[in-house]
Amino acid sequence: MGEVKGFLKYKREEYTKEPVSGRLKHWKEFIRLPDEKGLKEQGGRCMDCGVPFCQWGCPIGNIIPSWNDLVNKGQWKEAMERLHKTNNFPEFTGRVCPAPCENSCTLAINNPAVTIKNIELAIIERAYQEGWVKAEPPKTRTGMKVAIVGGGPAGLACADQLNKKGHKVTVYEKNEAVGGLLTLGIPNFKLEKEVVARRVQRMEQEGVVLRAGVNVGVDVDPNELRKQHDAVVLCGGAELPRDIAVPGRELKGVYYAMQYLAQKTRLVMGTKVDASGLIDVKGKKVVVLGGGDTGSDCVGTSNRLGAASVQQFELLAKPPAARAGDNPWPYWAFILRTSTSHEEGCERNYNILTKKFSGDGHGNLKKLHGVRLDWSTRDVNGRSVMKEVPGSEFEIDCDLVFLALGFLGPVKGGLLEKIGVELDGRGNVKADANKMTSVPGVFTAGDMTRGQSLVVWAIQEGRAAAEGVHAYLVSKMAKTQAG
Amino acid sequence: MSYGSISKEAHETMAIAMNRLGGFSNTGEGGEDPLRFKKDANGDVRRSRIKQVAQGRFGVNIEYLVNSDQMQIKMAQGAKPGEGGQLPGHKVTQEIAKTRGTTAGVQLISPPPHHDIYSIEDLAQLIHDLKNANPQADVSVKLVSEIGVGTVAAGVSKGKSDHVLISGYDGGTGASPQTSIKHAGLPMELGLAETQQVLVMNDLRGRIRVQADGQLKTGRDVVITAMLGADEFGFSTIVLVTLGCVMLRKCHLDACSVGIATQDPQLRANFAGKPEYVVSFFTFLAEEIRELMAELGFRKFEDMVGRVDMLEAKDVISHWKLKGIDLANILHRVDVPKEVPIHHCLKQEHGLEKALDNELIVKCRDAVENKTPVRFSSAVRNVNRTVGTMLSSTIARRYGMAGLPEGTIHIDFTGSGGQSFGAFLSRGVTFELEGDANDYVGKGLSGGRIIVYPSKKASLVAEDNILIGNVVLYGAIAGEAYFRGIAGERFCVRNSGGHAVVEGVGDHGCEYMTGGRVAVLGGTGRNFAAGMSGGIAYVLDADGTFASRCNMGMVDLFPVLDASDVAELRGMIERHQKHTQSVVAGNILEHWDITLPRFVKVYPRDFRKAVEKAQQAAVPAGKG
Repeated sequence: MGEVKGFLKYKREEYTKEPVSGRLKHWKEFIRLPDEKGLKEQGGRCMDCGVPFCQWGCPIGNIIPSWNDLVNKGQWKEAMERLHKTNNFPEFTGRVCPAPCENSCTLAINNPAVTIKNIELAIIERAYQEGWVKAEPPKTRTGMKVAIVGGGPAGLACADQLNKKGHKVTVYEKNEAVGGLLTLGIPNFKLEKEVVARRVQRMEQEGVVLRAGVNVGVDVDPNELRKQHDAVVLCGGAELPRDIAVPGRELKGVYYAMQYLAQKTRLVMGTKVDASGLIDVKGKKVVVLGGGDTGSDCVGTSNRLGAASVQQFELLAKPPAARAGDNPWPYWAFILRTSTSHEEGCERNYNILTKKFSGDGHGNLKKLHGVRLDWSTRDVNGRSVMKEVPGSEFEIDCDLVFLALGFLGPVKGGLLEKIGVELDGRGNVKADANKMTSVPGVFTAGDMTRGQSLVVWAIQEGRAAAEGVHAYLVSKMAKTQAG
Repeated sequence: MSYGSISKEAHETMAIAMNRLGGFSNTGEGGEDPLRFKKDANGDVRRSRIKQVAQGRFGVNIEYLVNSDQMQIKMAQGAKPGEGGQLPGHKVTQEIAKTRGTTAGVQLISPPPHHDIYSIEDLAQLIHDLKNANPQADVSVKLVSEIGVGTVAAGVSKGKSDHVLISGYDGGTGASPQTSIKHAGLPMELGLAETQQVLVMNDLRGRIRVQADGQLKTGRDVVITAMLGADEFGFSTIVLVTLGCVMLRKCHLDACSVGIATQDPQLRANFAGKPEYVVSFFTFLAEEIRELMAELGFRKFEDMVGRVDMLEAKDVISHWKLKGIDLANILHRVDVPKEVPIHHCLKQEHGLEKALDNELIVKCRDAVENKTPVRFSSAVRNVNRTVGTMLSSTIARRYGMAGLPEGTIHIDFTGSGGQSFGAFLSRGVTFELEGDANDYVGKGLSGGRIIVYPSKKASLVAEDNILIGNVVLYGAIAGEAYFRGIAGERFCVRNSGGHAVVEGVGDHGCEYMTGGRVAVLGGTGRNFAAGMSGGIAYVLDADGTFASRCNMGMVDLFPVLDASDVAELRGMIERHQKHTQSVVAGNILEHWDITLPRFVKVYPRDFRKAVEKAQQAAVPAGKG
């Protein structure tokens, strides 16, 4: 335990942020963690609970109290080692994880939680600074070959784990750079792309082969891939966006959020973008449909690009400020969360259903037509029922609408059909407890099997699949030797 | 779980919940604030129905015992058999110190044994004492699961306890040090099975209720435990969990962030438990038990008790680590005739109707009811055990610890006092005995006055002879005692408020004392003042060798110089001389200037610090 009653001595201190006016002028990260003394104190707030619920709340089971304590004592290197035992990429989760651990922190029952996420970030950034994150290639190779399809966090975590066990891993990524949503989904001001590149470079030095720009199922026959490798892991994500089937959807100015975010990040990265498809935001009235993280990223991006106004519409009711009675600790808190992008200027509206888009007569978006909703009635199962409020129909002027309505699962009509894996009831790739699909030797991990989720879950999935693949390869090797 | 180990809020919430349910809650060993004996405005009762009588005897006075439905003699704790309760100094707040009769900030370590129990007969005597202190309540003995506990339980049943508790090793507070709980104790099931079998084999089961505890959490746990032979069930961890415990395991650090195992006011404010939560938990538990009983075909709960034949070992036993385990001995059902009971169905014969107190109570009726002074004589023999306790019980029931006005009842006894003469004697009662007395005189003294001197016909020299037995004034809370003669061993152990004068003591005098005053006008045995953390002893060190017999671990020795100390000591000796016509006392007073410098003041270190702190605080600024 860091400090007995440390939580009574020190208040939760998060980080400082560059003022909005300044940070809107660039695409860099803008948070600054507390200094070393401050971080030690924050670590000292941890109670090192007998039953650490934070560890239960963390999908990858980070040994949080242990590294909180090490930070409190100033043992940064040991802290990094402890952190890396469960998390392949703390520099990603330390930036973009919504920190379910902090929701489950026992202190959060009646106090502000320990700043677990910041401490995680501080540990790994310190480690990079000190040069402790070194390439450590496996000492021996098993001779087994694994192909990983999809270079997002799940694929990379899986690759990292399997490589450490001595298997020869090749990651196939359809985009020009690996990282998946880490690279092209999350804006640079939340996760600088050098951070991804830094880790990826380390993995290459350790022997992972990365083949970006290769679309398995289009450029490469997946069954050919199976023949060339001892196991294949499908980590293609859940990229199928949810659409909105209303009149006027086809108008110019209505885009999927991912289309928009990827384009803008490519521009920041200096990658060439097809000029005809450029989305011009400057001076435009922007409406973002969907109140989640993707929507929030669209808000931050639009503000940086000089939008005239940014509004965010959410179908559901405004979440409460504090936990509701049916949402107790230690579960994820369904409360109103305000992102840094929201702070930068955005009107957030709730209880809105979009009914129609209308244009200027030349195929360009001009207006959004919506109606207000009432969720207060409940059905027999106690679930809220959506009811339109009579007479609440409205319309607003807008030039751009970004659809951040979530994802429906993996993209169909290619890779999955060719390789022949079964899907589950929700359209995700079906996997057994070892993460193997219905096709022997073909595994899956991440959003592709789980449905859209968090980076930290992708890492968990990738690690779990690596365990399954490793066990499979070990038995395969045993058979080969016996035969 | 005493008030002390857990917060007032948590302790009282549990009590309210159990009283609403008609169940029992336990004080633990920390005594109980008398304010809790009265009903709250909303009809809730914060009184714990079970009053624990532990080794430390903290706050065990006659009022405490009278306000109970069960008096539990804690022989040991399941999690750490062989050790007493432990409360770190930072958890001993003013409030806790008050209910325990100790000094704030001074660590409390209960002695491992009861100083009045060294044999099963001693235990029977304590059971009898408690039954006298509150004839309406049951007496319980808490044992822990150990090999041979069945034999002890048989002794407890023969010793007339109404109730026995078998406590398992996986219970216990998170406050116990790791070194105390590692590799100590046994699972409750082992001890319970043995207890049930021994009691049934010897036809001792029907007259005693058997309770078991140790991490019971579900209805299934209860049903299995019943089949192994328990009539009643104890829960604690799970109750704390319903009140907000999240198993931080910081109980010993006073840092419990949910306000349960802490005395820190800032953290106590975080306590969010409500009695309703506990009530709901037990309601669901009962429902689960009912469902299981229905499945098993039992119509009444008592039909299930002891039906170990309904249990069988599960396949999980096939795990390689468990291969060597043979449950046959635990699942053995003793073959006895049908008429031999296998669950509680009878009552113990306590023999209270034979007590001398019945006579005394009749003679004192007017005094008790109308506070009319009364003085009479009575013969006493050593078969009259626990004299004065039932009388005190009737007084405490009406007046609590306040008792009767000074000098209301004065009884002149002649003869030989039996064991526990004047135990738990109430304020306003004076017992004057011409003769001698056995062990445990004035045990738990609760404000009364006891005077013993040798028979006037006796030719012996009083100050050279043993007058009273061992363990005199053990756990005394308040009152006075004057003994013209020498006391046996363990005089005034765990005294927390009694004032006593004696003319010599055996070994271990004033051990674990936390309050009160003792004047020894003669020699002492070895190990005087061991573990003494409060109160003061004045010892006449005639030959200057006392220091070698005093345990200096927690005390320092001083000459008696302070005017208030001198006055106090002289007053005690004067009263001693007046009450007992002591020759020693007369000589000391006659040659006061020569004898006073020979007195040694035995002053506990932590107590001295607390007293000096209080004095400093009392001195007005500028007066220095």
